Amino acid sequence: MKRSDKFRQANREALATVWATLVVIIFWWVAGFGLADVNISFLQTPLWVWGGCLGTWIFAILVTLFLTKKVFIDFDLDEEEHEHE
Amino acid sequence: MSNILNLLPVLIFLILMLCISVYIQKSSQNDRKKDFAKDYFIGGRTLGGFVLAMTTAATYSSVSTFVGGPGMAWIIGYGWLYMAIVQVVVIFLVLGVFGKKIALVARRIDAVTIIDVLRARYQSNTLANLAALIIVAFFCTTMVAQFVGAAKLFEAVTGFSYFTGLTLFGLIVVIYTTIGGFKGVAITDACCAIAMIVGLGILLGAMMETGGGFTKIMGYISTNHPDMLEPLSAGKMPLSLYISQWLLVGICTLALPQSVVRGISFKSTRALHRAMIIGTIVIGAMTLVATWIGILSKGILTGSLAAYGGSVDNITPLTIIASMSPFWAGVTIIGPIAATISTVSSLLLSASSSIVKDIYMHHKQMQGHLVSNNTVRKFSLVCTIILGLIVYSIAITPPSVIWLINMFAFGGLETAFFWVLIFGLFWSKANKTGALAAMAGGVLVYCVTMALKLKVLDLHQIVLGIGCSLVFFLIGNALGQPHDRKTLETFFPEEYDK
Repeated sequence: MKRSDKFRQANREALATVWATLVVIIFWWVAGFGLADVNISFLQTPLWVWGGCLGTWIFAILVTLFLTKKVFIDFDLDEEEHEHE
Repeated sequence: MSNILNLLPVLIFLILMLCISVYIQKSSQNDRKKDFAKDYFIGGRTLGGFVLAMTTAATYSSVSTFVGGPGMAWIIGYGWLYMAIVQVVVIFLVLGVFGKKIALVARRIDAVTIIDVLRARYQSNTLANLAALIIVAFFCTTMVAQFVGAAKLFEAVTGFSYFTGLTLFGLIVVIYTTIGGFKGVAITDACCAIAMIVGLGILLGAMMETGGGFTKIMGYISTNHPDMLEPLSAGKMPLSLYISQWLLVGICTLALPQSVVRGISFKSTRALHRAMIIGTIVIGAMTLVATWIGILSKGILTGSLAAYGGSVDNITPLTIIASMSPFWAGVTIIGPIAATISTVSSLLLSASSSIVKDIYMHHKQMQGHLVSNNTVRKFSLVCTIILGLIVYSIAITPPSVIWLINMFAFGGLETAFFWVLIFGLFWSKANKTGALAAMAGGVLVYCVTMALKLKVLDLHQIVLGIGCSLVFFLIGNALGQPHDRKTLETFFPEEYDK
């Protein structure tokens, strides 16, 4: 992989991370505030707590798994010899 | 209960940290002979995924994860947990956005600190010196605040004096940071993160037993404090607070130099990917359990705040004392002390690197002096230990000005580095004038509005700081000159490869 291609990939990954953060924020809002008026409790604790707190954590882990397995790719961080002009 | 036996668990833990650092110092002697600064301040870029994740998470979670946060949750309820959980994004955000870019650039320019990167990008010594000053000032006050918080907790839980606690873990962390360097900090941080999780687990288990189980405590809360089950907590958690927290402890932490510098330290992309996953799991688990403990302690500490000394900081120590025997309390206290020392060790080393590498060594090189590896070694060790001892002595009787500066520290660091780092690494047209205006102007606006308590739409001053910093950057950028091709090719090779 050329040095410039590594930078292109790093830019793509950074942008994907920003999108991933936005997706987590939306999930957090919907699973918390969105469920706040639902009158269901589990272990005496309202549904929005499970969704917005525990759910957001699990969702963030899934998002990170998706990012690192599907979007991010492995490359050598050190420069290969022929790259030095 | 000031029985020496109850001190034993903490003492054993601290001595273990010391031994790890001594071992690391011995095993990295060869690397340090070659290039001391590189090994000492960044660990020779050899961190694996697990250690990278743990050190980033441990540096981020501090004594307030254990004390201030749970105390507030005791008052507010689940709204506080809902707000605290925004921190799950911090690890994957900083590593995902900056990790690879910083790693690539740092290898090309042989950078050891974030300021090395900024200096190379913006070609400005003024910017580098300003950044070093901001880092040293804010890091030192943060360290003092961490020490004070942990020593107070130590006093409340063990019965030993504030001074005893502070001296015990304060001196040990300064010594082990000085000898272990970055690798020592990273590995002890990983141990600290594990100790935090164990401490939280023990506390959660013990208090559930004292309170009669999760359902019973929740039943008590829903009958007596139904507002604790609402996200807005009957007006105690306004929407503006949620938005502020998303920015202050979520998105803007992206630019905290103590986190970003970890992007220079890892060995491979595989390590980075693993760290993002492990880090997100760990930071979320710690936030959830610590804050949840605060909420559930409502079922154990059923009085009003005035009955507990009128300060939310007393909630955690009182919960510990109420739910377990002195010995187990002594084990649990390792958690918050680990959170403190893992934050202090990273900040101390970063502050020291700013003085040694960014100010002293750079100054010498500018004068044309060659700094020998041995001089760097001596100067680094002396600088780290002296800085640590200064912080320790200030923490013995902290003057009120420390609290004033500390109030500015977290958001001030974010304001200073947010746009400067983002534009510096992702926008080739960003220039020195813009960066200087954004850093100096942004921090000034942030500190002044914090001091005067000025707010827009009831949002935290970080919004004003970051907003003004952006405007200053764009204005300054329009006035300044673009950088030369040689500089830009290092940072943006993709734009010259057509």
